[in-house]
Amino acid sequence: MKWIHELRRLLRRSNRKISKEALAEAVTCQEAAERIFEWLDNELDPELEAKVGAHLETCARCYPFLVFEEAFQEAIAKVEQSETAPGDLRDRIMQSLETEGFESSGSSSA
Amino acid sequence: MADSDAHDETFEAEALPQMDAVYRFALRLSKSEDRAQDLTQETFLRAYQNWEKYTQGTKVKSWLFTICRNLFLRKEERGKRHDEIVTGVADKDPRQISREATVFMAVRDRDPEGHFWREMVDARVLEAIDDLPDEFREAVVLSDLEGLPYQEVAEIVDVPVGTVKSRLFRGRRILQEALYEYAVQEGIIGEQTAARIRNRGEASK
Repeated sequence: MKWIHELRRLLRRSNRKISKEALAEAVTCQEAAERIFEWLDNELDPELEAKVGAHLETCARCYPFLVFEEAFQEAIAKVEQSETAPGDLRDRIMQSLETEGFESSGSSSA
Repeated sequence: MADSDAHDETFEAEALPQMDAVYRFALRLSKSEDRAQDLTQETFLRAYQNWEKYTQGTKVKSWLFTICRNLFLRKEERGKRHDEIVTGVADKDPRQISREATVFMAVRDRDPEGHFWREMVDARVLEAIDDLPDEFREAVVLSDLEGLPYQEVAEIVDVPVGTVKSRLFRGRRILQEALYEYAVQEGIIGEQTAARIRNRGEASK
């Protein structure tokens, strides 16, 4: 009965392939391009995320665009804002809070 | 005075560590160190006075940003009507803002993987973000620099999530074009492709 198992395996593989292709074709290139930031930000609902993702990752025209936008997103996300609240501002804030009745436990890192 | 102690302890543990984040947000909003300092001070004063309204353990940074932004709008834009403040270039003249990926179209033959983005100096990226129109700047700062999800950005800015998506989309496109100009100026990418971007931008208006 080994051939039955083999047939089932082939059918499962075939279904997966069809399913993946069907997902990718569920959105157009334009729709995928319009949703690219939402996809990169993980802000799409699971169904749309799967469709847009399948399209972006398998479409020959859209994949380079995905790589490009991903590089941009990563570059912006790694930007460090180095500004810190100046020491005298911290002092002023603590003083104004104390006039409102705030009592520090002395353990704050601020 | 146990309640008072707990009030101050939780404020100190949760709110005060956000001082740098609030100051940076105020700086991005106001583009002025003096105004950012005043905004930060007032934000913490208001937060302390209203601490009982905050649900401990939830999104304290978003709550402080909301207070800060509301103070900014009231203080810095006094005299303007609210709808004039919150509805700007982004919503009034969408056709003037490119929705097309003009930078990608211009560099796809030369640098399709966008390696030049990695050459950007942080200070220059922040400068370009500071130059964005207000509505776009808020969305980009909160989403890209602070890493907040769309829903939290929408709550802080007091607009629907769909508006956040639209502002982020356009804000990032403007940012890409500004940074691309910088890349050309610094010699990271050639002048020829910059001219193509400018021409496409003019044609789309």
